[in-house]
Amino acid sequence: MAALTRGAYGEPGTSLHFKTGNWRSTEVPVHVHAKAPCAGACPAGEDQQAWFALLQQGDAEGAWRELVTANPLPAITGRVCPHPCESACNRVSLDGGLAIHNVERWLGDQAIEHNWAYPVPPPAPNALAVAIVGAGPAGLSAAYHCIRHGLRAELFDAAPEAGGLLRSGIPPTRLPRATLDAETQRLLALPGITLNLRARLGRDFTLDGLRAQYAAVLLGSGCQEGKEWAIDGAVPPDLHEGLALLREFMDIGAFPAGNRVVVHGGGNTAMDLCRLMKRNGAAHVTLITASGLPGPDTDPTDLIRVVPRELEEALEEGIEIIDHATVNRLIMCGSKVTGVEIVSLRKLPGADGRSHRVSFEGTERVLPVDLVIPCVGERVDPAGLESVLHGNYLKPGDLWGRLEKPGVFSVGDARGDRGTVAAAIGDGKLAVQAVVADLAEAGDPIPDARAEIPASLLNTVYYPPSQRATAPKLAVAARTFDAEIEGDIGAAAAMAEAARCLSCGDCLACDNCWTFCPDNAVIKTQDLASDGSQYLFDLEYCKGCGLCAQECPTGYIRMQPEAPGTD
Amino acid sequence: MQDAARLSELRRKFGRQPAAPDEPVPGKPTPREAQPRFRGLESGHRACQGCGEALAARLVMESAGPDVMVANATGCLEVFTTAWPQSSWRVPWIHSLFENAPAVASGMEAAMKAKGKNTKVLAFGGDGGTYDIGFQALSGMLERHHNILYVCYDNEAYMNTGIQRSSSTPHAASTTTSPAGKERMGKRHLKKDLLSIIAAHHIPYAASASVAYPQDLQRKVRYAMGIEGPTFLVVHSPCPLGWKHASALTIEVARRAVECGLFPLVELERGSVSNVMPIRQVRPVDDYLKLQGRFAHLIGDDDPRALQERSHLQALADHNIATFGLTGDGIPDSADTGGSAAVGRGGPATGRL
Repeated sequence: MAALTRGAYGEPGTSLHFKTGNWRSTEVPVHVHAKAPCAGACPAGEDQQAWFALLQQGDAEGAWRELVTANPLPAITGRVCPHPCESACNRVSLDGGLAIHNVERWLGDQAIEHNWAYPVPPPAPNALAVAIVGAGPAGLSAAYHCIRHGLRAELFDAAPEAGGLLRSGIPPTRLPRATLDAETQRLLALPGITLNLRARLGRDFTLDGLRAQYAAVLLGSGCQEGKEWAIDGAVPPDLHEGLALLREFMDIGAFPAGNRVVVHGGGNTAMDLCRLMKRNGAAHVTLITASGLPGPDTDPTDLIRVVPRELEEALEEGIEIIDHATVNRLIMCGSKVTGVEIVSLRKLPGADGRSHRVSFEGTERVLPVDLVIPCVGERVDPAGLESVLHGNYLKPGDLWGRLEKPGVFSVGDARGDRGTVAAAIGDGKLAVQAVVADLAEAGDPIPDARAEIPASLLNTVYYPPSQRATAPKLAVAARTFDAEIEGDIGAAAAMAEAARCLSCGDCLACDNCWTFCPDNAVIKTQDLASDGSQYLFDLEYCKGCGLCAQECPTGYIRMQPEAPGTD
Repeated sequence: MQDAARLSELRRKFGRQPAAPDEPVPGKPTPREAQPRFRGLESGHRACQGCGEALAARLVMESAGPDVMVANATGCLEVFTTAWPQSSWRVPWIHSLFENAPAVASGMEAAMKAKGKNTKVLAFGGDGGTYDIGFQALSGMLERHHNILYVCYDNEAYMNTGIQRSSSTPHAASTTTSPAGKERMGKRHLKKDLLSIIAAHHIPYAASASVAYPQDLQRKVRYAMGIEGPTFLVVHSPCPLGWKHASALTIEVARRAVECGLFPLVELERGSVSNVMPIRQVRPVDDYLKLQGRFAHLIGDDDPRALQERSHLQALADHNIATFGLTGDGIPDSADTGGSAAVGRGGPATGRL
């Protein structure tokens, strides 16, 4: 700066010598990449926002690659997942949550159609191998994540084909066999994965044998046996348990005859059975469930555990549902069942502080039936697992699935606290992370503990309104045993849906902070800044007014108290 | 070594973390120098936290510069950008008096013409310098048809001298010279309809803009820059200090002023309305008033005068909406208040250039 005299004048831009940042007395803007609620709700651990961002830029293949870093089976989960992400979406309060499952399915189908390569390198020839029991969703996911972490995977399955419950328990109306085969085969063809079919634990090999031979053993054998049906009195000798009946139907394509059918249970298997029985010609199909139906007053913990659109379709098809009730007793005529006695119940808090189902005396009534199917849950087939089994399940001691026996993990339905394909896929990922950490003797992997961002932290003024895309659906009359009910949304709708993503908690590079800073203290950068955004805060000039945080559409900018050490 | 220890002690005491983006790297422009926009008004100015006028002036300079000269009337803008011996301006800039910025600008324009230069002359003033004190000079400038863009940063009172009422202060707002109390509910008179007076000069282009819609504001500046002759822009610029709202709410307050109809965004060519920004979802005036301390006396139901004045302001907003047809045709479009604010990945939906 030149020497100052009375005759001096202000040089252009010299106010840059005056650091107005020292006026800042309260808070400082910071970039906070919070977790989006969709990612927080996803049992498979996907970051939906990350792949929507790539799709917004027109990069469908990049979006798929990002998606399969967590979930290698998007064409399958896009069809069968109850999509908790969509219920959690912050756009729900604006103009409808994103149709995430439709876009996921579209990406998965595109990958199959164009044979996009999974972004995984082949493992080294001397890489350690992990044994995985069960080639269902948990096992397949675990095998894939082994490859991602440079391990080899050896899959064992008792069935003649891979797929587990996806093949035996989900009807083709929800998951066409062509899609299932295409996606599983693409995954199994990855170098480093070996599949041993018709290999049954306890018959062809033992747990201890595997443990001795492999770096780790993952048990993803699922729940194969129906639980005991706790009702009073006699049951018919030809009682069909739900999952077994469904499996039988998938194999031979026929059901036992019945005009009036009662299904007892509250899960997806029960719902699938109801709809298949109806399509098979049963005039009256009734689902009796102890849980509640969705409604404004329903407690979320007491909600029927089925895919919402499945429930909607079932009601369309004329399935009758009796909620908050249970089967007390069967009314038999000889060895044949002629009626069920049902009773109302509710889930109520008990004296011990836990909720119990309490049935109400005096509400008993009888429904005439020809066929009754219990669908009250499944348990692990104990064969070969006696040493690690706790009751009905392989209950692990932690999030990562570690069992008491070192190096043995439990994943998927066998854990007993899961219930969806997505959760099984997420388990595969978590368990492999723990295997890798254990092999490196590095302690537990660090879980993503970032807080989720609520809708109240977004500035929704900046989002143009846009309606949710809907997928075509087969009319009730046209629904058969084989035809898929929900259709494909197509490229245009998938792209439009991606553009609806609010990018909650992550930078959109929308320039709002850069445009609105009265002090020119937001600096736009050409390269990505170290925090992943395109902007820097020049704290030498930032006066801390908070405008950028207030006008940030995604809630990515927050005002926080200054770091200690600065006066 | 001793110096280094002392330096780090001083840094701990006075320094700010992290290191500033201005930290020079030899042979490479600093991130600030590499900004993809013209920096006509730089950092280091002494405006208050969240100043709407500083923001508006920066936005105007971005799209008007760099080949411009500025004549600035007395007011906040003049004071906070040029604390002697520093200047935040990176263009030629002159300040003379409160009342004569348009006259000074006229002389600058004549000089440029005599020298055969194309440099556009801008004249800046606050609402005090424009609506009140410099009004006759402005009228003369428009009448003589100088090739000047006059921008009025309207923060609706004399903020620089301590929040005295101006003829731009809205009805019922409390200022230090129109305090709300037993006798009066804030300012007794109405906000002067300056744009109609400007329109009566039949100049090529006059418009109102708001800091809440920067793309619209910058489009209007660019349009005016392309016109040979006098043009006029009034920019609604909230003042957190004088309007008594949180500094983070500057944009929200400005947006609500537009959305309730109290500050219509219109364009006039040769005195007739040529374009308006339709309001997608009209808000009640109360939404605008309740954010600001200068209208605090109007909130609450214990005083019947408060309801009367609120209704009066609502009637004024409704009158604006009816006069300019601000409800549009009811179909959302990209030029209404909703569409103008929309952003997407990579920038505003409407585009900056």
